[in-house]
Amino acid sequence: GEHRDYLDNGNNKMAIQQADKLLKKHKDLHCAKVLKAIGLQRTGKQDEAYALAQEVAALEPTDDNSLQALTILYREMHRPELVTKLYEAAVKKVPNSEEYHSHLFMAYARVGEYKKMQQAGMALYKIVPKNPYYFWSVMSLIMQSISAQDENLSKTMFLPLAERMVEKMVKEDKIEAEAEVELYYMILERLEKYKEALDVVRGKLGEKLTSELQSRENKCMAMYKKLHRWPECNALARRLLLKNSDDWQFYITYFDSVFQLIDESWTPPAEEEHSLEGEVHCSIEQAVNFIEERIAGESRSSRPLRGPFLAKLELIRRLRHRGCNDEYKLGDPEELMFQYFKKFGDKPCCFTDLKVFVDLLPPSQYTKFIQQLLDIIPLVAAAEDEVALPGDIKALQQHLCVVQLSRLLGIYHTMDKKQKLAVVRELMLRYRHGLEFGKSCLKTELQFSDYYCLLAVHLLLDLWLEGEEAAVWQCLTLLEEGLSHSPSNAQFKLLLIRIYCRLGAFEPVSELYSSLDAKHIQHDTIGYLLTRYASSLGHYAAASQSCNFALRFFHSNQKDTSEYIIQAYKYGAFEKIPEFIAFRNRLNSSLHFAQVRTERMLLDLLLENWEWAKRGLGEDISEEHRKLSLEEETLWLRIRSLTLRLVSGLPTLAHTIQPKNSEKTAENGVSSKIDTIRALLQQLEAAVDSGKKFLEQKIQYPVLGPPPTRMAGFFSNGSCQCQTSLFYLVSDIYELDTNGLGKSEIQERIGNSFKSLVERLTGNDLFNKCKGDLIEVRDGTLKTHPNLLENLVFFVETISIALWVSSYCDSVLRPFKSNLQKKKKKKKESSVAMPPVFTHFLDYVTELQTLTSNVIDHIKGLEIILTALKLEELSLKDTLLLQVRDSLCKHRGPQEFLFGV
Amino acid sequence: MTTLRAFTCDDLFRFNNINLDPLTETYGIPFYLQYLAHWPEYFIVAEAPGGELMGYIMGKAEGSVAREEWHGHVTALSVAPEFRRLGLAAKLMELLEEISEKKGGFFVDLFVRVSNQVAVNMYKQLGYSVYRTVLEYYSASSGEPDEDAYGKFVFSLKLNGTILMLRIPGLVCKTIIIFLAYETGSDSCRLMGFMYPPLDNFSYLRLYQL
Repeated sequence: GEHRDYLDNGNNKMAIQQADKLLKKHKDLHCAKVLKAIGLQRTGKQDEAYALAQEVAALEPTDDNSLQALTILYREMHRPELVTKLYEAAVKKVPNSEEYHSHLFMAYARVGEYKKMQQAGMALYKIVPKNPYYFWSVMSLIMQSISAQDENLSKTMFLPLAERMVEKMVKEDKIEAEAEVELYYMILERLEKYKEALDVVRGKLGEKLTSELQSRENKCMAMYKKLHRWPECNALARRLLLKNSDDWQFYITYFDSVFQLIDESWTPPAEEEHSLEGEVHCSIEQAVNFIEERIAGESRSSRPLRGPFLAKLELIRRLRHRGCNDEYKLGDPEELMFQYFKKFGDKPCCFTDLKVFVDLLPPSQYTKFIQQLLDIIPLVAAAEDEVALPGDIKALQQHLCVVQLSRLLGIYHTMDKKQKLAVVRELMLRYRHGLEFGKSCLKTELQFSDYYCLLAVHLLLDLWLEGEEAAVWQCLTLLEEGLSHSPSNAQFKLLLIRIYCRLGAFEPVSELYSSLDAKHIQHDTIGYLLTRYASSLGHYAAASQSCNFALRFFHSNQKDTSEYIIQAYKYGAFEKIPEFIAFRNRLNSSLHFAQVRTERMLLDLLLENWEWAKRGLGEDISEEHRKLSLEEETLWLRIRSLTLRLVSGLPTLAHTIQPKNSEKTAENGVSSKIDTIRALLQQLEAAVDSGKKFLEQKIQYPVLGPPPTRMAGFFSNGSCQCQTSLFYLVSDIYELDTNGLGKSEIQERIGNSFKSLVERLTGNDLFNKCKGDLIEVRDGTLKTHPNLLENLVFFVETISIALWVSSYCDSVLRPFKSNLQKKKKKKKESSVAMPPVFTHFLDYVTELQTLTSNVIDHIKGLEIILTALKLEELSLKDTLLLQVRDSLCKHRGPQEFLFGV
Repeated sequence: MTTLRAFTCDDLFRFNNINLDPLTETYGIPFYLQYLAHWPEYFIVAEAPGGELMGYIMGKAEGSVAREEWHGHVTALSVAPEFRRLGLAAKLMELLEEISEKKGGFFVDLFVRVSNQVAVNMYKQLGYSVYRTVLEYYSASSGEPDEDAYGKFVFSLKLNGTILMLRIPGLVCKTIIIFLAYETGSDSCRLMGFMYPPLDNFSYLRLYQL
């Protein structure tokens, strides 16, 4: 009633009050109690809510209202397993309720209790013999087989049982729905009974497979492949290609099967049909003819499809691999690609299409090939010594294709700096000229000539990597210019983000990133660009925020997917159930998720201490780099999570008054806290070693490839050494704590640690590597030093750890000291010598204090420089403006341009 | 040169080149999973030989299953920039219409932002006509309407009457209730009554056999 409305409207307090009022009148109104519990849960009183809910649950309610309300509550508490208990009790009391049984089934589905689901499904079917219930039970068997650790068990028990259950329904002619046939197919496929699966699909039951496009054909094809029935594969692919000569997957199957048949020396039977699926092609001649026919068919069309033309190139490639191209006169690939360009060069995808086949060109022909393409593009030069430009969008598109191919074939790669810069100038001229064609483009559309700008930037990036500092600044100018004309170009934004990050400038990145409007799954697939740099460049608030967004996404995944697994049961989308579960697992095991979780916790610890918490756009990443990057990221994650565990283990060591004895704890068979710390420390050392070994390979990822981790910096700036020493110090101090001041060697060791730590922190190592200008002007060119920022961030982190460790030292040493002082007073002797460790510690703390205030001064100094830069920005903007404006075409008034920027 | 196949969860990890477009919405995971669980055949993706995703269409069947009156609805249709101007969107629409027809849908409808002129023109070319401007359909999560949207319908041959689409005033955004009435003859006008999100009043049994 009323209180439910309050809950729906988010007025939890009123809901609680209303429920209380009702409960005064009717003490045992279960539903009111649960609604009150929901109100409590939502106002953060989880314990009270839980207690109240359990009060009702203990009575094993069977009224709809209580059951539903409790289900909602348990879901909000993230305790789905309690829902199963609830309905288990309900079906016991009302054993014939279809509704409660089906709720119970879904409750099991939510927590993945497959065995119980199987039983619940059958129980349901016994009450109400509806097919879906029966097949829910069958599907639960498949899920048991998928989740079974023992593959043998799944193949000999769960799947055969599922098969028998379906067969029973088939024999009784009780199969009703398409979903049931799909399920049958799924079982047979998993049992590797491909012949049987094929018979089902081709038989009477297969007629039900109508929902998906070519559902029957696709399933038959999959089975033919598994059974190596190449004649059928071939005939079916051929038939499907006759229907749609653009479907690439069937060309691949067609070629695969032709060559398989040739290798098997297959010959068609004299009398009967070639195969179940009709005519079979089993010779190269037939394949060549088939492709030529498809091409002839397309040539007559007013809007030719690209498939047949590319299929010819694919056939050539395959023939070449077999070493027998020349016999079959399919033509010269260079000429065919040229013809393809003539036909489709004005489509933006022409480059992507030809990219797949450039390996057919001999490198010696690259330049000639490019020139051949260029020659047929209608370009017009205004004067003899000026660049010839395209007169329409089609010509521009063709030219862009050639430029992209040139880059792909490495034509620009061999150029020297001067030539490259000349190409950049030409590309930018073409870019600006091409804007003319896109004057009517909306701001949500891309400009036709955007790719010119992108390519110019890539060339400049090459120069930058070769050591040309000025090039990177030009990249930024060009990209910002491009973005002003094409404000929704994601490529521009991503490139800008990567470059700004590499330069150490995080501030513009936030805005660029938010303009990408990346959300949900993109927190995983793009979000890593942000989280990698935000904290390492000292933008802690942004780092916190981006980690939070990502974590919120990952955490909701578990709950969300369960809901839709249940829906898939309801709607009979059985094949989606394992897919959803695999998807959930993939997200849960995302490397990015693990990293964000660790970094977020480290960040929380650090911020508290100071009292202030894969992908792939643009250039392709090679498989090799992908693999290396994954390895590097995993190593780095290991180091970070070990650091996190070590830091969070510190408070567990806190000094207690009674002297501890490590032997004593070991006696109980429980490893003590210090043992955990020492084990973690060993693991950290091992991880650091593997990391160092990895870095010895000196991998250079491409600029747009995976961003490198912070590992290299962590090792080279000395933070790693300092942090490990600090953790060793903890171990020594603990030893001192347990063994007392007796052993001088421990004291000596600790004293030395203090000394060397101070040296490392203040001396040549850490702090010095943070000093210097963030932006340096040398010989008229700007250079940023983002590593200074990264080092500073690591340094601050290391100091934090040093401070934590000091407070632990203090907690251990203080009691010793006061004990000694007491003794001293008692004996009234002045000869009780203070052990050296106290002096060492005192010196150490004093040094730390000085260092901390020096660091603060340094950071303040940086801020002043940045403020000064901001003041300069006004004039800097002017120069940039002038520079850009000069290069703009004359049609744009400065007024208009100002708005663009 | 395209491979057309069913969209799968893993494609969500790879569709950035299509979705990093200001007019293409990236929905929450539940939204995609709902479509995959409920109407998997209406969710088709096109893949290039190099493995790049070219574009996809996502749709559903809606209306009253109990009264056997339903139609196809296009929820999202998007093609990556470099694969435009190949007729791919038209091809995907054709596939969805085919599926909807096969399932006995009366027509296919869709909503498109007024500002998305390119899409509006394409749908017009495909035979769709602007039926009515739905105010405040694309509401931001804050509840503030940001712009109007068109509702568009294509009539299948089974229906030769007119379609009326009414907006009930006072109801905004996500729970917009649109009552659709159509005339089968000259005399009567029936209400089909569908909602956004559609009323989930049909039994799973009926739907599963759809």
